[in-house]
Amino acid sequence: MTLLLDIVTTAAILFIVSAGLLAIFGVLKIVNFAHGAWLTVGAYCAVVAGGLGLNPWLALPLAFAAGAVLGGVTERLIVRPLYARPLDAILATWGLGIVIGQLVTLWFGRDVQFTESLLPGTIHVLGTTYSLYRIFALGAAVVIGLGFAFLLEGTRLGLSARAIIMNEALARALGLDTARIRLVTFMIGTGLTALAGVLLTPLTSVDPTMGVAWLIGSFMLVMVAGSSFGALAVACLLFGGAQVLVSTFISPILGGITVAVLCALVLRISSKGFARV
Amino acid sequence: MFDSSAAEAKLELDGVTSGYGPVAIVRDLSLSIRRGEIFALMGKNGMGKTTLLKTILGLVAARGGDIRMDGASIVGASPKALVSSGVGYAPQEQPLFQDLSIRDNLRLAVHSDRELGAALERVFGHFPFLRDRLAQKAGTLSGGEQKMLIMARALMLGPDLLLIDEISEGLQPTVIARIADALRAEREANGTTILLVEQNLNFALDVADRWAVLKLGEIDDSGEVGAGSRERVLEHLKI
Repeated sequence: MTLLLDIVTTAAILFIVSAGLLAIFGVLKIVNFAHGAWLTVGAYCAVVAGGLGLNPWLALPLAFAAGAVLGGVTERLIVRPLYARPLDAILATWGLGIVIGQLVTLWFGRDVQFTESLLPGTIHVLGTTYSLYRIFALGAAVVIGLGFAFLLEGTRLGLSARAIIMNEALARALGLDTARIRLVTFMIGTGLTALAGVLLTPLTSVDPTMGVAWLIGSFMLVMVAGSSFGALAVACLLFGGAQVLVSTFISPILGGITVAVLCALVLRISSKGFARV
Repeated sequence: MFDSSAAEAKLELDGVTSGYGPVAIVRDLSLSIRRGEIFALMGKNGMGKTTLLKTILGLVAARGGDIRMDGASIVGASPKALVSSGVGYAPQEQPLFQDLSIRDNLRLAVHSDRELGAALERVFGHFPFLRDRLAQKAGTLSGGEQKMLIMARALMLGPDLLLIDEISEGLQPTVIARIADALRAEREANGTTILLVEQNLNFALDVADRWAVLKLGEIDDSGEVGAGSRERVLEHLKI
């Protein structure tokens, strides 16, 4: 039963970490390689909140706001001129990620930081004792997934974003403000990624390079999912599950590369991945 | 019957040049369309008709000349600004969001959901079949139904100026007749000015007040619709 919970909660954590990247890639067709840096920014918001003696839960809205504002500035100054040059956008956001990492190092140093746990302790669930925080992460993933489903299917912003994904030229011709929708989408994506950074703090050490470790896995999962949050959930469940199984029964080192290898295999077989889910 | 013959100009193009990359598709084109007039712009493929509509709507930048709506220049205005000021557009290329429902395709034409109910009632009057099929995906409609949906979307906000790009292409005569009725009704009810790009001579000359033929980005001939129009247009469209 613990193994099953490990699989489900690992998938949830992968979903939380990848959702912001998918929001940006799905609508803007830009791979934000500063994704890892935004995770780091979010995690350091938790460090700052702890340093200021704030309730650790306040780090979540703080990180979302910081990520969204910085994302807005980034979209306006760096990404917007590069929408027609997606390869250049990858290089630019990669460089931005390095800059952000260095700035974090400058302010906080290279040392590992510690934050107050959001939910310490264990819970008795399905006949086993399990980490309360990992169960919370599962709930957070469901909330984020449902939130995105509502945003995309139940709001005008979501309808406009879907129209842009399908046919941006027609969306412009109908008078949609595509520039504003891109900006808001980028801000939501980076805000959500920073929020994910806070949610990671009880599970991983906080240091200036912590986001890099999550970047490749997130990138591969998003490539497999295309622009579908449903497909992302399926990919996280399948490949996150495989990661847990490989780590448990074969080798934790091989487990660490399982997601990337399986995603590459799926993309080799079908370039659209799970995009039709 | 709406009489536009004495009305002031709604849309004026003065020496407009536009195109893609180094190639000028529309060349030094001048045209004046009166308020409430239906104007048919015809020409063979590749003559610049679609580019001209895109230039008016700001989707293709004008390289020279001036475009005025109600006397004010609209060169450089964004499509959003023009749509907000009453321009409707029925495009020819990839004109629908195929995976969205009919309702969502129509919803994208209004500025807020508060306007949706009244706007839907407007277009149900012209195309009643839409009322019962709002949840259906646009891509599952027949070709004729898709064209009526495109027209309905362009009419949602009751535009002052309507730009229509080859709406009759590949349609049965009954569907063409229904679209023609919708255009006449809009003009009668609201004084809508319509610039109709067409290759279907019968449809264009049936609904239009005036016509022009575009050849290599320039007006080759133009006139009032009446006796002899058909022969004159055909003469210019001969291969």
